Amino acid sequence: MAAISLEELTKDFGALRAVDRLSLEVRPGEVVGLLGPNGAGKTTALRVLAGLLAPTSGRALLLGFDVTERPLQARRQLGFLTASTGLYERLTVKEVLSTFGRLHGMAEVAITGRLAQLSAELELSEFLDRRCGSLSTGQKQRVSIARAVLHEPAVYVLDEPTASLDPLASSGILEMVRRARGAGKAVLFSTHRMEEAEFLCDRLVFLAAGKAVAEGTPAELRHRSGEPSLTGAFLHYAKLGARS
Amino acid sequence: MSAVGVLLKKELIDSLRDRRTLLTMVLLPILLYPGMMALVGFVMAAGQERLAREELTVAVVGDDAEAFLRGQPPPAHTSYRRLTRAEAERALGEKKVWAVVDAPEGSHQEVSRGRQAHLTVLYTKRHDRSMEALERVRRVLASAAVGALKLRLAGAKLPETFAEPLKTEEVDVDFQKDLGPLVASRVLPVLLVVMLLMSALYPAVDATAGEKERGTLETLLAAPVHPLQVMAAKYLSVSVIATLATLVNLTAMAISFGIGFRFHETVARMAFGPGQISVLLLCLVPASFLSSGVALAVASLARSFKDAQNLLTPVALLAMVPGLLTMMPGIELNAWTAAIPLLNVALLVKATVLGTAGPLHVLITLASVLACSAGAVALAARAFQSERLRFGGAQSWRDLLRPSRPR
Repeated sequence: MAAISLEELTKDFGALRAVDRLSLEVRPGEVVGLLGPNGAGKTTALRVLAGLLAPTSGRALLLGFDVTERPLQARRQLGFLTASTGLYERLTVKEVLSTFGRLHGMAEVAITGRLAQLSAELELSEFLDRRCGSLSTGQKQRVSIARAVLHEPAVYVLDEPTASLDPLASSGILEMVRRARGAGKAVLFSTHRMEEAEFLCDRLVFLAAGKAVAEGTPAELRHRSGEPSLTGAFLHYAKLGARS
Repeated sequence: MSAVGVLLKKELIDSLRDRRTLLTMVLLPILLYPGMMALVGFVMAAGQERLAREELTVAVVGDDAEAFLRGQPPPAHTSYRRLTRAEAERALGEKKVWAVVDAPEGSHQEVSRGRQAHLTVLYTKRHDRSMEALERVRRVLASAAVGALKLRLAGAKLPETFAEPLKTEEVDVDFQKDLGPLVASRVLPVLLVVMLLMSALYPAVDATAGEKERGTLETLLAAPVHPLQVMAAKYLSVSVIATLATLVNLTAMAISFGIGFRFHETVARMAFGPGQISVLLLCLVPASFLSSGVALAVASLARSFKDAQNLLTPVALLAMVPGLLTMMPGIELNAWTAAIPLLNVALLVKATVLGTAGPLHVLITLASVLACSAGAVALAARAFQSERLRFGGAQSWRDLLRPSRPR
């Protein structure tokens, strides 16, 4: 069974069709990248998956749970991360993580154990008791990762998670994705960084004007587009989408 | 702990660590009331004292007016100046004199003969000095009238009580000792209603538009919680903060009045009794829940702090209206006014201070406030269920009323 499944997903904002009959699947242990120009519908599709937006038609499923019909069950499986760190600046790191752990139904003992584990993995120990507002961008991003994976979700949905980060901070995210794949998690993420997509993704889906215009491994897409680089393939499919 | 409990704890920690919330909630009332009372009392007392010591010139038109005035000891800091009527009027307009006393020729003689004289005093309400001069002239002329009356009574061999067959002493049993409650009943409703709303506004904006602006709302709603649970926690948090702020406000007010400021007798020594405090709390706490619901519903329309300020400014101004209405004569708490939200709270505060609040009016006020609170919360919940409002887009008041698909 696919861990992430979009079935003919459509999302309209008034007269604007942001996502147009998009279908894709991500299996456990697979990393799929969503590529496309700004306004292609990547963020909207991921927001529907995260249960933040309701689809106009079609379905989005996480481990078989329809995100509209059974939103709470679906979101319990989800680790969601965006470019905006989304941390409460007046709360300490520990308070933020503890709050989200409890919202995911974790017991106090489980939260404490997981905090210790993540502190070691992501080097959070030195600022666990500091307020998030006082952290550097890189530190905030590490806390965001911890928040997203604290409850050990089976599915990761990442919306341009490295967009505002320097290479050092980005590497933390990439390491998280690699570890997730190794642990059998399904990962769907959007990015504008072609080297990341090439390096991490098992498959790529190109979106243009809300539609999937191409899908395959990075090598397949380069080959089919006749471009030597993934950036060239990106431009090729973006133009193709604009023409259609 | 339930999801609402977890979220409420998070909201309260987040809000109570915010310096701006603390400033509005604690520091402002603690400094505002004593500061305002001191300032008002000081300015009033200093102004009246200064006016009483001011050298004022009064124009006197004609020998008879002079005779009436000169027959009495002159008021302190007052001088008379003989002018013609035309000169006197011009001098009054040019602020060279502050009042004009004119008496027709022969009027002094007429009074001596037992007849009545008609005097004219010109002044202007535009200037405090003119009003003060009028008061001084009034006292002199009243004294002249009493003197003339005594002479007439003595001439007719009649006792002084002859001209006053009924002597009435008016005793105001409520206020004879202290005018504080009367002043408080005018000032408190405006202050409390405005402070009530102000206490709810900032936390409401921070919890809605602030979350959108900081990008935390998206993260929160991607967790396994229902938007209504998030809204419930925000509502409870804002209400708790607004209630705490109201209590701090009440305490600061009670202490300010209780201590009393000796700058002016009318604001001194006012104290709330336990009964008055109970009634005030009974209505102000639900009213803080109402103002929290309204503030959250309106702030939910905003995408950012700036948007929220634009949307809430008219609400804040509107909230002053009920308080100001209580200052108007004849507007009192009755079965009808007790049903009008916010006005009823303002009027109840006034009635409580004056000790005229009846149980029926308190009950109607409570019922009205609770019903409106429920309505406001329903609107705020609708705003949170609408994805258009949660993620930017529209900022129309109509969005609060537009049907949305619950999720």
